[in-house]
Amino acid sequence: MLFAFYLVVVVLGILSMGFQLLASRLLNPHFGSSIIVWAWLISTFLAAFSIGSMLGGWISNLPPGTRRRGQAIGALLAVLSLAVTAFFGRALLGGIEQAFTETSTALLVSCLGIFFLPVTALSLFGPQCVQFLASRGTPPGKASGVVYGVSTLGNIAGVMLTAFALIPHFRVSTLLYLWLGVAVLSLFALVRLLRLPDSP
Amino acid sequence: MKLACLCLVLAAGVPFATAAEGDFVEHYDTIYNSLTVEKRGTLVELRARARGTEALESAVDLSDPLKLVVHYTRSLYGALFVQPEPKRVLMIGLGGAGFHRLFAAAFPDSLLHTVELDPKVLELCETRMQFKPTEKTPVTIMDGRMFVKRNREQWDWLVLDAFRGGFVPPHLKTEEFYRECAARLSERGVFVTNLHATSQLYYSDLKTIQKVFPQVVLFETSLRGNVIACAVNYKSPQITDAGKWPSVESLDRPIFAGRLDLRAIRLEHTPIPTPLLRNAQVMTDDFAPVEFLDALKSNNTDAKR
Repeated sequence: MLFAFYLVVVVLGILSMGFQLLASRLLNPHFGSSIIVWAWLISTFLAAFSIGSMLGGWISNLPPGTRRRGQAIGALLAVLSLAVTAFFGRALLGGIEQAFTETSTALLVSCLGIFFLPVTALSLFGPQCVQFLASRGTPPGKASGVVYGVSTLGNIAGVMLTAFALIPHFRVSTLLYLWLGVAVLSLFALVRLLRLPDSP
Repeated sequence: MKLACLCLVLAAGVPFATAAEGDFVEHYDTIYNSLTVEKRGTLVELRARARGTEALESAVDLSDPLKLVVHYTRSLYGALFVQPEPKRVLMIGLGGAGFHRLFAAAFPDSLLHTVELDPKVLELCETRMQFKPTEKTPVTIMDGRMFVKRNREQWDWLVLDAFRGGFVPPHLKTEEFYRECAARLSERGVFVTNLHATSQLYYSDLKTIQKVFPQVVLFETSLRGNVIACAVNYKSPQITDAGKWPSVESLDRPIFAGRLDLRAIRLEHTPIPTPLLRNAQVMTDDFAPVEFLDALKSNNTDAKR
């Protein structure tokens, strides 16, 4: 069970940071690849990590029934928002580019509208994972260190895999569908794991 | 803290090496490039550091600023054989403005509008390479693709010569971008791009250009690895038959004397390496592994087949 748990944590790490590289490839045709694009993109992802972690921490302290509903809603939100990016991302960016002539405004709207929600929703699960380990006897500090350490290894794997193996060989649209499929499977598995009864 | 301060100083682009008698070597880390400007005698070079080496981006001979020091900038004038009257030219990528000075002198009534991403490149061009933008040679600081999308004007020549430390940004290599460029060409306008025939990227480049433009003509700068592609929106009249091009005499100008040999440029005309394009991939906004293809070295002689 613990192997499956850590595997899911790694996969979520891969999804989060790999998604940032895919997001840059989506943005480039519309807004170029200047430092302005990267500044908005990185800030959006960091804001999503921050807010997602705080919301996740709040959800993890709710009573069990409400907490499970929160986790299910978070997973649904992640999947739906990733689906919007995969199916309508390019069309939305085209519309935003037309609607906003000022580059920073257009980037703010694009990043918030298309990338913020999926990353926030994925980040909700960090604190849930910490609580999962803590409720099974791991001291909270150690649980937090292990979850964020393993997740960050997933982040690194996500960046390297996406940059060196996936983008050179696959279309960005194909990769977004892959991200969606993997998110459905991994979040379904994680939600199931999080519902397992706590150890005595 | 001291390290942070040192990094800030370096990032600000402070020259940190000088030589005697007006010669200098200066290094700048800009927000997009690592640049070296070197002056030796009357020659000033602008180089970009990349992949452990320095790529010569541009150079000017201050004793004759109209001289085309970097060979491929001469080949860019091959576009004259396709569109001999460039009244309105858009150039994406400023470099050291090596191309600009002779063009402005040869075509004083023409507009040469340049789009450059890196503001430091413009600053160095003005302060170290003695290029002064004028009403006829304005420079806009913007991403090239953004400019092409937003500016609705038509151009007789649209020249793409944008590099970032030896690499071309992927979004300037795609079918969609070339279509955007094609839409900005005047009726007899020509799209001109500087390609490096040293990697697999070259074949993907050519295949992508051919998908958008019905006619493409190549000029290969001898022994330099550069190939200039000239492409047009129309099928007729034919531009691929060099025999139907305007004569060198009709295109020559007194100011070209000793600086630009159009006869030599005409001889650089090289066929498209069609067999080698068969397996090349068309690059799109959805699939543009530019960095990956650029890392796959090609035999330079392949480009001539």
